[in-house]
Amino acid sequence: MTIRTYWQIDTAAEPQRAEPALRPALPGLVRDQRSSTQNRFDYYAQLAQAAAQTGFDGVFLPYRRDADESRIVAAIIARAAPRIHVVPEFPASVGSAVYAAKQAATFQRSTHGRLGWAIAPDEDAPTRAAEGDYVDADALDGRLDEFLTVARGVQTSRPFSFAGQHFEVDKGGFDAPLGRASFPTVYLQGESEEALSLSARHADVHLFAAAPVERLAPLIEQLDSLAVRAGRSVAFGLLQPVLVRDTQEEAGQEAARQPIARGTLVGSFDDVAERLARFSELGISHFVLSSSPSLEEGYRVGQHLLPRLHSLTGAHRAVA
Amino acid sequence: MSIDFYWRLPTHGCHSSIHRGSYDRGDWSPPGPHNIAPGFDRDHGEDGFTYIDHLAEIAKAAESAGFLGGLIPSFPNTDDPWVISPLLARETKSFRFMIAFQPGFGNPVHTARMTASLQRATGGRTLFNIITGGGGPAQLWWGDSFAHDDRYGRTSEWLDVFRGVWSGEDFSYKGRFYEVERGGLPPLLRAEEFPELWFSGSSEAALQVASKHADYYLSWLEPFDQLSDKFAKVKERTAALGGEQKCAVRVDLVARPTEEEAWRDIRLGFENVTDQTRQQWRGQATDSVGAARQAALRPSEARHYEDLIVAPNLWGGFNLLRGGPALGIVGSYEQCAARLDDLIQRGADGFILAGTPHLEEAWRIGEEVLPLLGHDASALLQAAE
Repeated sequence: MTIRTYWQIDTAAEPQRAEPALRPALPGLVRDQRSSTQNRFDYYAQLAQAAAQTGFDGVFLPYRRDADESRIVAAIIARAAPRIHVVPEFPASVGSAVYAAKQAATFQRSTHGRLGWAIAPDEDAPTRAAEGDYVDADALDGRLDEFLTVARGVQTSRPFSFAGQHFEVDKGGFDAPLGRASFPTVYLQGESEEALSLSARHADVHLFAAAPVERLAPLIEQLDSLAVRAGRSVAFGLLQPVLVRDTQEEAGQEAARQPIARGTLVGSFDDVAERLARFSELGISHFVLSSSPSLEEGYRVGQHLLPRLHSLTGAHRAVA
Repeated sequence: MSIDFYWRLPTHGCHSSIHRGSYDRGDWSPPGPHNIAPGFDRDHGEDGFTYIDHLAEIAKAAESAGFLGGLIPSFPNTDDPWVISPLLARETKSFRFMIAFQPGFGNPVHTARMTASLQRATGGRTLFNIITGGGGPAQLWWGDSFAHDDRYGRTSEWLDVFRGVWSGEDFSYKGRFYEVERGGLPPLLRAEEFPELWFSGSSEAALQVASKHADYYLSWLEPFDQLSDKFAKVKERTAALGGEQKCAVRVDLVARPTEEEAWRDIRLGFENVTDQTRQQWRGQATDSVGAARQAALRPSEARHYEDLIVAPNLWGGFNLLRGGPALGIVGSYEQCAARLDDLIQRGADGFILAGTPHLEEAWRIGEEVLPLLGHDASALLQAAE
């Protein structure tokens, strides 16, 4: 099985880094020549280049309402960092499915097909209202179903027509050369029966939130059989925070020093690699890893954890 | 007084010459040995460049040659400006990205977040050409079934929300098309400058929305008297609301050292137009009033390029050579500058210029035409005194 690894670039993390308004001021005796054109996006580009240089196959950009928008950041870093796949997460409430697909086509054409689409999990009702999203809670799955049907439809067929509850297209579909672009790899999430059934029909990769092997095993089995019934196959992935050091002891010390995300795997490089390898035995082949601060931890994970994981799973780094 | 000059990024491929019908820059025509971006390497394999690499060349030429930035048009078979802009953000220095956008296609709250992020990435180099769609089958192609005047109502509400979430954290709105409850951008994002809005549309519904929201009212080139009237009307209407309306013209130029050379290039381009293109030229279903105003200019049968000369240095057949408006300016460098000066006299505060090939012509017009501007206008003023 080919293992694919992604580093998470969280636009809300390390908010003071490269943020002109937030970075700590230097004392007067330090000559400070940082220019006003330096900004947060230098940091995002640096993170993406770090992920590319340390052997990740891609980067994952979670949807953050209170920070820079993931698809804008994705395009900027895709141009700045070669080779790696770029997976922005965004909600299905972004607007027209045709327009989203068209944006994806240009992204694919401009980056040799390195785009993935991760659809963000549904937010609560007050948050959706603040986002101007007034679709009823019980219609959200239907909207996502239509969004992906239409987006893929216009990218892969011409003419494409569709009349649903949320989207309508008449004699649509992209002509050449846009129509030659590949549709982005689709990443969906969720553990409900509806979420798994949506994934069976639409996802290329289903991403699980960090959880013990025993908890994921039945979900994987369930989605596998749903996908078979839909005549498709879905790959499995894991959103997994990690905190790794040379030794278990050092990792434990570091964990005590900072707040860490729920479900973080804390341990030595060897230990965490083994625990990830166990997930891969279960059928999980996409690992979205995260840790903070993103740059330093990205180098650590890329240089020391990934080679161990690849050697345990017998897989070589996937070639993008 | 200073005038804003923008260039255009061709988002549907480009021709290496105005004489050629095939898009040999980009992949809108079949690949051939002369094509670039993408092109072939010496072993006949793909050379790895894509069309964005050519757009990067044009953007860099435009910003160096004296243009503030460029319009990035959006039509069914173009590449998309929302992706082109961030892709090119870090390899341009001052180039401003004018994103052509139909507001109905994006959630206004999310679009505000995207825009503020792009402002942060570029140091405030984002602006919009707000378009409301040509209607007809093309609008249904986009998945948009709203009727013409409803689309303008939606655009107006969309802009209310877009501006509202930018200005505060606790913004609520209840309209016919959009509702928001306690939304708003976070402080770091809304600290960015709100983008300038260039507004297109010639109908009554469009003009109303422009008066309320537009920094610039943008028109295709029309015969000068007609355009003067339109600008005067728009400025008057906005003044009545207590605002000041700037106006802008979008126009293609064929500028050459002599007028003879300019018309020769038009003739060669005209002679290479295929019958198929001529057929397409006659009418596509649309409810666009701007397109109808342009269509009214056309002689029904043009056998010679001269048939399409509507006034000195004004030619009405540009849409035979490439997509877009019909009317453009043809002449020597001095004549082109004089016509632009005329337009400034008639109320133009900004321009979106273009020429084919977009890369070389950005340099030519930046180096040969822009430096001549203002001389003719001041001569006119002196004569008047």
